[in-house]
Amino acid sequence: MLGLFVLYPAFRVLVYPALQDYLEIPRSLRWMQAARNSLVMMVISTLTATLAGLIFAFAVTRPDVPGRRFFRSIAVLPIFAPPFMVAFAYILMFGRQGLITKTVLGLDANIFGWHGLWLVQTVAFFPLAMLIIVGVLEGINPSMEHAARNLGADEWAVVRTVSLALARPGIAGAALVVAISVLADFGNAVVIAGGFPLLATEAWFRMEGLADLKGAALVVAMLIVPTVCLFLLERYWVSRRVYTTVTGRGSRVERPPTHPVLKWGTFLFCCLMSVMIGLVYFGVVAGSLTAVWGRDWTVSLAHWRLAMDRIPTLLASVKIGAMAGVITGVVGVAVAFLTSRRLPLRQVLDFLAVLPGALPGVFVGVGFVLAFNRPPLELVGTPWILALALAFWHLPMGYQAAVATLKQVERSIEEAATNLGASGLRVLWDIYVPLLRRAFLGAFTVSFIRSVTNVSIVVFLVTPGNIVATFAILNMIGNGIWGGAAALTTMLLLITFASVGVAQAVVGRTLRSMPMG
Amino acid sequence: MMGMTEAHVRFLNVTKRLGATLAVDRVSLDVPEGSFTTLLGPSGCGKTTTLRMVAGFYHPDAGEIYVRDVPVTDIPAHRRNTAMVFQEYALFPHMTVAENVGYGLRMRRVESAQARRRIGGVLELVGLVGQESKFPHQLSGGQQQRVALARALVVEPEVLLLDEPLSNLDAKLRVRVRTEIRSLQQTLGKTTIYVTHDQEEALSISDRIAVMNQGRVVQVGTPQEIYYRPADRFVADFVGLANFAPVQVVAPGRVRLDEVILPVESAVKPGPALLVVRPETMSLAASFPTAPGLPALRGRVKTVAFLGGLARYWVEAVGKEWIVDHAAPGEQLLRGEVYLTLAPERMHVLYEREVTHDGEGQA
Repeated sequence: MLGLFVLYPAFRVLVYPALQDYLEIPRSLRWMQAARNSLVMMVISTLTATLAGLIFAFAVTRPDVPGRRFFRSIAVLPIFAPPFMVAFAYILMFGRQGLITKTVLGLDANIFGWHGLWLVQTVAFFPLAMLIIVGVLEGINPSMEHAARNLGADEWAVVRTVSLALARPGIAGAALVVAISVLADFGNAVVIAGGFPLLATEAWFRMEGLADLKGAALVVAMLIVPTVCLFLLERYWVSRRVYTTVTGRGSRVERPPTHPVLKWGTFLFCCLMSVMIGLVYFGVVAGSLTAVWGRDWTVSLAHWRLAMDRIPTLLASVKIGAMAGVITGVVGVAVAFLTSRRLPLRQVLDFLAVLPGALPGVFVGVGFVLAFNRPPLELVGTPWILALALAFWHLPMGYQAAVATLKQVERSIEEAATNLGASGLRVLWDIYVPLLRRAFLGAFTVSFIRSVTNVSIVVFLVTPGNIVATFAILNMIGNGIWGGAAALTTMLLLITFASVGVAQAVVGRTLRSMPMG
Repeated sequence: MMGMTEAHVRFLNVTKRLGATLAVDRVSLDVPEGSFTTLLGPSGCGKTTTLRMVAGFYHPDAGEIYVRDVPVTDIPAHRRNTAMVFQEYALFPHMTVAENVGYGLRMRRVESAQARRRIGGVLELVGLVGQESKFPHQLSGGQQQRVALARALVVEPEVLLLDEPLSNLDAKLRVRVRTEIRSLQQTLGKTTIYVTHDQEEALSISDRIAVMNQGRVVQVGTPQEIYYRPADRFVADFVGLANFAPVQVVAPGRVRLDEVILPVESAVKPGPALLVVRPETMSLAASFPTAPGLPALRGRVKTVAFLGGLARYWVEAVGKEWIVDHAAPGEQLLRGEVYLTLAPERMHVLYEREVTHDGEGQA
């Protein structure tokens, strides 16, 4: 099954264009330009997002920086948002009709283009870097910092020679993860990049505008090369270099105080980033309630009425998201259970389960079109193709969540149960089922939220019969119906936050430890 | 106040609150120059907090700490020359052995040729020559411990601080390393403050021991003073094994235990008191001893544990259970009825509500 829904579509993409077509690539000016742009954006956005993530992570792991809990929870908000939301909100805030640029500052600003995309990707992806780096910084034993102080290092030297030096592999890993996300970023790019060609959006223009399937396949094939390289680098190089704690139990002492300049500097930075995140949500909600954005600021519910007409698309989103969630949950838990046992093919299985994480959404989208638009398995036009594509794309998150849960079961627990007289089936029922239920719920929730908000796969696979909300929103933004788009986005947000809330209530704290990236 | 000028480190009424608990409560203590002084006490007694205040990781809420008569509480941690060996070593995992050891020199901007020389010297001292370019995770626990020690020694600290440095080693290694630390300290003549909860370790390694309980220093003295003349029941109980028996001092040098009058040299003031008897100071015989002048208690062996070098007996006598250690017992252990003899010069008397801090007991 993993082969059919993970490998086969990828294989179809790569063999669809003839060798001749690949050789033509360097001669296409537009594609080379798109490739160059994508790489440039990857470099600059990764740099700023990782740097922002690092500063933020540093601040929230210092015990003496005020408001660190607040900062921490606000910084993860963009992870739950639809992937085009930052771009959309920033057009509303900083665009030509922007609340801040035009109304407050009286500027005629054009946010469309690479600089707008740079800003948006920095804000959208720094939380990813932050979450990874926080994990690394928190893993540094406070005694290490005390030892440095004790040997004559001042506050700055401690940060330079110990904290940051120890976190270096983690920071590199975070940068690679961010780079993969930037490269694959479709939602923000399609909304804000304007005439700036990028590989991720180019694939869609090929398909939508020109019905050029071969061209789309070529473009996503170009995209896959750097992505897979980054992915392999992250997984097999950086993750091995992460320093683990040298000796056993460390007393949980507090970290030494932070230099006031560092403390207040990072605090101010966190405030600034929090405002930037706040603007994303404020922009969209305000946009949905304003009569005519940029001109008439009276409160109006007209956009909500318009959005009500699109409720069927929301229902379709929820339906497809639920289908995808169930598939991710079942497959993820099943694969995790299999790889936790000593099976001959577990390495292969594990690799296949995490591989989709390396594939950009547009690649998966094109792959599913090519793989399932003809017999024996013709799925195009059914909701199943959407559900399956989304489910398998999100498999790594569900799988890793399940693996983490299963790791809690030590062999000795199972042995203890057997030792106390439980039969094999009883062990399964008493020990594994309760744990797997949590794993399943976790996997379901992540997959559901990300499926409901997905655009990069959706745009390739929707057909008039199964329009989902994100696709409707993109169309509205494209046609300048900002108010309606904002209202529909707000509804989508409500659904995602409600499901996060429900999941938190059900699974409790396990959701916090889940890889949401 | 003799010894005032010799004190290298002096605590004066030092108090520290951690959260709601009074971790260190009005501690006053002199650490003589060149001495090996141990802070001994159960976990939570404030010994580590006291040590960390010397390093500057905590600021006392009240009181002052002097190093060579200079008040140090307002000096930040990195400007004090009080290198510490951490319980979990806190070696930098991203640095080699040489880089770890050289870290303090780098922070002191010691010029590199000289730094190399000093690193080489100290590694030789702790027996780690040839391990310079290894990373901490490639070393055994004992070797990591030496790196931590070398890293602290290389900066030539004013005072060396050791926070339970042996607790991550296995029992045999612990005994070996503690002897090494002690002889190294004596060679270098370095003033050392050592923290441990292991009374045997404290007795074996220290010049002076300060026993702490609930944030207070309850007794300061040499290991022998602490062991034979504990200041109160807590110290007697915490350091070594002790038998306790309520007695009545009837006259100087005489106490009444149950119906028996015993000669006890340290008993001075008449009144109710607590007799402290170490297990190895009593002798045990199968028949009534013929030695003149010493009364013997008749008892019955309840259980006996053979420990190789000694046999430990639990003996019931005068309505009480006594632990008696019999050195070099041989293959024949005593059973049934036995006679206990108590050495008058080895027994110690505690008067109720009397706590002394000078370590001199009541004598």
